[in-house]
Amino acid sequence: MNLSAISINHRSAPVELREALHLSEEEIAELIAKIKGNIFSEGLVISTCNRTEVYGFPSDQKLLAPDIQKILVDHKSVKNISAENFQTFHSFSAVEHLFRVATGIDSLLIGDNQIFRQVKDSFRLAEDLSFTGVLSKRIFDAAIRTGKRAISETEISEGAVTVSYAAVQLIEKIFSNLNKKSALVIGVGETGEIAARHLLDRGIGKLSITNRTLERAEKLASSLNAKVIPFGSFKDYVHDFDIIISATSAPELILTRQDIEDAMKQRNYASMILMDIAVPRDIDPASKIIDYVFYHDIDSLNIIVDRNLAKRRDEIPKVEKIIREELDSLMNWYNSLEAGPTIKSLRDYFEGIRAEEVEKNKNRFSGEDQEKLDIITKRIINKILHHPTVELKKLSGEGHSDDEIAARISILREIFGMDKPGSEEDKKD
Amino acid sequence: MKGLIDFLNILLPVLYVTTFIFYYVDFMKGGKVIANSKRLLLFLTLIFHLFYLLFRTIYFEHPPITNVFEIFTVLAFAIGFSYFILELVTDISGTGLFIIIISILFQIVSSFFIQDQIAVKDVLKSNLLGVHVFSALLGYSAITISAVYGFLYLILYKEIKLNKFGLIFNRLPSLEVLELLSFYSAVIGFILLTFAIIIGIIWLPKAFPDFSLIDPKLIGTSLVWILYGTGITSKIFGKWRGKKVVTLSIIGFVLAIASTMITNFLAQSFHSFY
Repeated sequence: MNLSAISINHRSAPVELREALHLSEEEIAELIAKIKGNIFSEGLVISTCNRTEVYGFPSDQKLLAPDIQKILVDHKSVKNISAENFQTFHSFSAVEHLFRVATGIDSLLIGDNQIFRQVKDSFRLAEDLSFTGVLSKRIFDAAIRTGKRAISETEISEGAVTVSYAAVQLIEKIFSNLNKKSALVIGVGETGEIAARHLLDRGIGKLSITNRTLERAEKLASSLNAKVIPFGSFKDYVHDFDIIISATSAPELILTRQDIEDAMKQRNYASMILMDIAVPRDIDPASKIIDYVFYHDIDSLNIIVDRNLAKRRDEIPKVEKIIREELDSLMNWYNSLEAGPTIKSLRDYFEGIRAEEVEKNKNRFSGEDQEKLDIITKRIINKILHHPTVELKKLSGEGHSDDEIAARISILREIFGMDKPGSEEDKKD
Repeated sequence: MKGLIDFLNILLPVLYVTTFIFYYVDFMKGGKVIANSKRLLLFLTLIFHLFYLLFRTIYFEHPPITNVFEIFTVLAFAIGFSYFILELVTDISGTGLFIIIISILFQIVSSFFIQDQIAVKDVLKSNLLGVHVFSALLGYSAITISAVYGFLYLILYKEIKLNKFGLIFNRLPSLEVLELLSFYSAVIGFILLTFAIIIGIIWLPKAFPDFSLIDPKLIGTSLVWILYGTGITSKIFGKWRGKKVVTLSIIGFVLAIASTMITNFLAQSFHSFY
């Protein structure tokens, strides 16, 4: 299989270079328009925050990996990048790499199931831009199936593996239904914003935001449909909240143990969760000894993250087994697309139909005629198959590439349903 | 039929222990196959147990509520059955092993000591007594479940406070759910025990005209009733919550079991039937 792939990812390049080669959907479309036909007959471009990858069946057999790298680098006008910053794959190793990407085991965050959605979106875009063909469609379908199987048959995507998601997982171990709970997010930096969005995704009842710079709090609050509390007076409302997530860059504590004790008295000791994901910490850790106060800082959340990552790492062999199965299945299919085996399959397919019909109807004929029936029907089948057989034998001698031959044979097999379960070939097996 | 009853008497502890092992494996390792098998196994165990109780009732010509070991096997069934319904309704299955172990204890004690008692004291041949025992047993199974969930609440509360995120953290439902399950079970138990007490008060003077108001059973039962009543009222009016309420539920359960044990084995009480 003449599939080529290049990849720039967290293993091969620092974040600056990965960022520089990141492609938006529009840029992917532009790149595909540039390479479709003259560089690759069919293929795929994937770009996420951690990787940019180009897969394709080269139109020119002499095309090398550095040529593909140059096309990508030129497309983004990136400098100071070398061949060492790319991984290159060829033939079935390219397919295997795609499967590893789709299952999330090649991700920086093992088992990240966002990558599965991103790979699917990339397939859809390639299809929309008519950049797919018989072979690539088959490979992409197999990759999607492999990704789905990894998610459903293993625990590769289970458990929180980011601090902000671990905070939400912990909150859900204390409160069963977030619809009736209120939360305050202190600080609207990246961590605070992600935590606020996680809470919204989990259906938090009321969300409030406070930040030293009011404008930034208002901006985030409007996008999340949350309430803004001025930073100067937020302490007066602490008792109103079941959950407080703090992620500021304040150098000193912003909530003392006394603040929390006062709030708990006002709440009549209804449970309160304090998630302090700031470094240095925002909330006095001594608050944890107050009854019904669940105080957790970044260290305790990291315990959950590390545990879940270890569990995911343990699942990698199971995912690799699925990848091997799917890869074997794809290789078997590809190997069946050679002229010799296809001629045999085609003949077996027609002979199967002939023999079945003769068996069904032979009683309508006398003993002598039954023999004639057999000879005549065999002759008909031979005549029908004569031309396709000659054409198939000629295919390999006409200078077509293996992938072109495979694509044509694949269409033939599809027309006669030779790869479907229950086909004559399967019946023989 | 006697042979079948004896066989089931031995089989039931085995079935409960096997079910417990399935629940244990599911708790430790998880997996769809084991999760489905454990529920089926509990269902089959309860079916066998139901037949055992029916066969006893038919063969010995009285329901198995006339001595403490008969009551223990009914209690084992009632706890297992209540949990089974709870698991079906709430789909919370990570707590099963903690409740089934109580059924195992009651069933093992019952299987060891139960006797083939055909003759029943005249005082026990009363419809009112049947209603009393039936509601009391259901009430006890409810407070047992309440105590187990209360106990699990305390463990999970401590684990979260101490940043221990192991199996208990992963498998148990949220603290809020555990508190609710414990509280609702306590309310159901309290209502059923109240009903059992009312029936008992009606039946007692008829059966034992010379009963004493300082009988250990009456004192024990009153204490349990006051304890649950106080806890439930405080929770409803928002005065108590969480740890306090579940601790009360656990104390109530221990007191109820201790009261039953003392009145049946140690003290002289109208309630000693064994």
